[in-house]
Amino acid sequence: MKRRTLEDYLVDGINYFLLALIFIATFYPFYYLIVISFNNGLDSSLGGIYFWPRHFTLVNYKTLVTDPSWILAFFVSVARTVVGTFLGVGFTSLVAYGLAYKQLMFKKVYFAIFIIGMYVSGGIIPLYVILRQIHLLNTFWVYVLPSMLNIFLLFIAISFFREIPSELEESARIDGASELRIFLKIILPISKPVLATMALFIGVTQWNSWLDSAYYVQNEHLRTLTYKMIQVINQASIPTNIQGPGAEYAAKVAQATPFSLEVTAMVVSIIPIICVYPFLQKYFVKGAMIGAVKG
Amino acid sequence: MKPKVQDTRLPIYSVSKPSVWKRLRKQASPQLFVIVGLIVLFIFQYLPMFGILMAFKDYSITDGISGIFTSHWVGFKYFIQFFHDYQFKTIVTNTLAISFLKLIFTFPIPIILALMLNEVRISVVKRIVQTTSYFPHFISWVVVAGLASVFLSTDTGLFNDFLMKLGIIHHPIDFLSDPHHFWGLAVGTAMWKETGWWTIIFLAAVSGIDPTLYEAAQIDGAGRLKRIWHITLPAIRGTIVVVLILAIGSLLGGGLVGSNFEQSFLLGNSVNSGRSEILQTYAFQMGLAQGRYSYATAIDLLQSVISVILIFGSNWIAKKTTKTGLF
Repeated sequence: MKRRTLEDYLVDGINYFLLALIFIATFYPFYYLIVISFNNGLDSSLGGIYFWPRHFTLVNYKTLVTDPSWILAFFVSVARTVVGTFLGVGFTSLVAYGLAYKQLMFKKVYFAIFIIGMYVSGGIIPLYVILRQIHLLNTFWVYVLPSMLNIFLLFIAISFFREIPSELEESARIDGASELRIFLKIILPISKPVLATMALFIGVTQWNSWLDSAYYVQNEHLRTLTYKMIQVINQASIPTNIQGPGAEYAAKVAQATPFSLEVTAMVVSIIPIICVYPFLQKYFVKGAMIGAVKG
Repeated sequence: MKPKVQDTRLPIYSVSKPSVWKRLRKQASPQLFVIVGLIVLFIFQYLPMFGILMAFKDYSITDGISGIFTSHWVGFKYFIQFFHDYQFKTIVTNTLAISFLKLIFTFPIPIILALMLNEVRISVVKRIVQTTSYFPHFISWVVVAGLASVFLSTDTGLFNDFLMKLGIIHHPIDFLSDPHHFWGLAVGTAMWKETGWWTIIFLAAVSGIDPTLYEAAQIDGAGRLKRIWHITLPAIRGTIVVVLILAIGSLLGGGLVGSNFEQSFLLGNSVNSGRSEILQTYAFQMGLAQGRYSYATAIDLLQSVISVILIFGSNWIAKKTTKTGLF
C-alpha cells in the first residue's frame, strides 16, 4: 500500500464535500416537508423553520382526514393503484405466458406486432380521441384499462417464463390440467421475482400519474390525490391575493393554511413510495443494471 | 414406348405433419391468451397509430372512429397552418432551448456523480449517498412541482432565504413565475430528480472495470485524477455513447430525464408561458382544450418526425466517430 499523496487528500476532501451537498440536496427537501407538515400552518407562513417544528401540531393531518374531498381523492388513488396493479400484472403475465408457449404457431407474426406496438406510438391526441369514442372518458376504467398491457414488462415476463423448466408444465398437462390452471397454480407461484418487478413498476406509475385524472375525467368524485395537489400548487405558484376555496378553507380551519395542507398532502403521497423503496431497490434497480449491462 | 412406372410413394397425407387446425386446437389456450392481448394492443396502441392520419385530414370528433379513415384528405394544410401560427417561433424556440439545455447539463452530471461515488472507499457513505440520490426518480412530477413551489417561493422559500443569507442576492428571485427563470427551473428540477437514477447505469459500467488496471497505473505513478481520466472514463466510453444516443433520440421529450411535458405543464403558468410553452403542451392544449384534433395531431407528429431523424442521425454520427452504435 502506497502512502497517500497530497492529491489523494485533495480529491477525497473535495469529493466528500460535494457528495455531502448532494446528499443534503436530495434528503433535506423531504425532511423539511415532514417538519412543515407537523407545524402550525399560520406559524409556518412566517418562515424561519429549518430542522424542527416550532409549533408542533397534528392539525394539518386532522384537516386532511376530515375533509371528504381529500379522503375521496386518497381512496381513488389507492383504488386505481391496487386495481391497476392487479389488472396490469395479471393481464400482462397471462399474455406473456401465451407468447412463451414453446410450439406457439404464428409466433414470429405475434412478436413483430408487439414489438412495433412498443416502439411506435400514435401520441396523446389520437389516444384521447379513441378513449373518447369508446366511452372510457370520465370513468374509473380510464385509469386502468389503457395501461393493462405493458409491452416492456411483457417481454421481461416472456424471458422469465422461458427459463422455467418445461417438465413442470408437461407433467401437469399429462395430469390433465388446463393451461389456465397451469398458469395460475404452477407458473405464477414460481414467478414471484418477475411479478414483483412488474407490480412495483405498475404500482409506482399508477400512484404517480396525474395527467389522466386532470384531462380524461371531469367527475369530481374520480379525482386522484395527484390532481388535488396540482390544484393547490397552481393556487400557490401564481402570486395573487389568496381567495377562492383556499381562503375559505384557511378561515374555517384557522391553523391549517393551503400551504401547510399542500405540504401535508405531499408527505402523504410520498409515504407509500418510501414504504416500497427497499423493494424498489431490490427488484428495480437490479433490473435497470441488468438492462444496462445487456443493452 | 416408355413403360408406365407405377407410383409407389405413399399418399401425401400420411407423411405430412398434423394439420394446422389440429395443431391449433392443441394449443388453443395459449393462442387465446395471445389473441386477447392482441385485441387490447389493437385498441390502445394500434388505433391511436392510425389516428395519426388525422393530421392530414379534416377530422371532426363527431365522425367517430371510422371518421379517421373516411374524413377528407387535406394534405399538409395543418402543418402549414402551424408554420404560420403566431406562436410558432416562441414554441419552437422554447422546445429547442429547453431540450438542448437539458442535454448539455443533465447528461454529464450522472457520469460525474458515478465517477465521484467510485472514488469513495467507505462503502456506507457510498450506499447512503446513492440510495438518497435516486429516490426522487420514483416520486411524481406533481410532488416535484410542489417541492419547487415550497422551496423557491419568494416569501417563505428556503432557497431564496439561503441565497440572501449568504449575501449572493439581495432580493428574492421569482423563480416560479418570472419567465426568464423558467428554462433554468426546468433544467434544475430535472437534474435534481433524475441524476441519481442515471448514475446507476454508469456506476454499473464502472464496477465492471478490472481493479488490477488501477494497481498497475498506481505503480507507474499515476495519481487519482490521471487514473480517472485514463482508466475509468475510457472503460465506460461504450456506455456513455449508448446513453448519449438514447438522450439525443429523446431530445425533444426532455432527453434522459424525459420530462419536458410534465414540467411545462406543472411548472408553467399564465405568467411564464412565453418561455414554458412547448410543442407537446401546445398540441395538447389545441387538441383537448380547443377540440382542434387534426391541428394538434399535426403538431405532435412534427415532434415525432424530428425525434426519429435525431435518433438515426446521432446513431450514424456515433458509428462514424466511435464505432459504437445502438443499431
